[in-house]
Amino acid sequence: MKNEPNSINLLRWFDPRNRKLGTWAFILNRITALGLTLYLFMHLIVLGTLARGPEAYDNFIKLAKTPIILIGETLVIAAGIIHGLNGIRIALNSFGIGTRYQQQIFIGLMVVAAGCIAIFVKSMFFGH
Amino acid sequence: MYTSTKKPQEGTFLWLAKIIAGLVIVIILGIHFWVNHLVAPGGLLSYSDVLAYYQNPIVPIMEVFFLIFVVAHALLGLRSILLDLNPGKKLLSWINIGFILIGIIAITYGTWLVFFVVAKGSGA
Repeated sequence: MKNEPNSINLLRWFDPRNRKLGTWAFILNRITALGLTLYLFMHLIVLGTLARGPEAYDNFIKLAKTPIILIGETLVIAAGIIHGLNGIRIALNSFGIGTRYQQQIFIGLMVVAAGCIAIFVKSMFFGH
Repeated sequence: MYTSTKKPQEGTFLWLAKIIAGLVIVIILGIHFWVNHLVAPGGLLSYSDVLAYYQNPIVPIMEVFFLIFVVAHALLGLRSILLDLNPGKKLLSWINIGFILIGIIAITYGTWLVFFVVAKGSGA
């Protein structure tokens, strides 16, 4: 299997129509990468409340435990798990490891990702 | 299927750095998620919990390494995505300068914050 062709059309990257499994892996990698990068810098800025003392930080934590922010946090965790596990496959394949079985590896890792996400959802929304 | 291959303007060192940083992040991010969302009572650490957590000397070292690797991986990844849009030479050099500056500012700020929390927790 070969790499997906580079595109000069940004929107084409995110168009899921008539795509093969490999392109879904590519789209997932790109979307999660962009989302996580945006979150990383927002996270760094928000953690600045630690420097403003316990009241500021604990008020932020109280806000972070509201359902809407929790849903956002869950999406970030899901994106991190999907990007991380898909990234392991990409890294291995980039060094020529497991290239013959990359579709099976991708499906297997996404099943593991779904299981991990379910554990986090259960813990975050329904307690330990 | 999608694999990561070195792009002409990426260079072997940056391509390899992006992949190795990614693999390191998978391990540290696993710990980060586990501590902050599974172990912490109620799901997230309070201010006093964060101060206590950072008194373990391994934690600030791990977090600073995490910060360096994650910022480098994010910016190299974003640059790699932008390379797919075939930017001109001049634009790419501006992108490089911008990303280096953003990286330096983010790592400096994050490292300062880590040591600020460590100092607060130790009562310094």
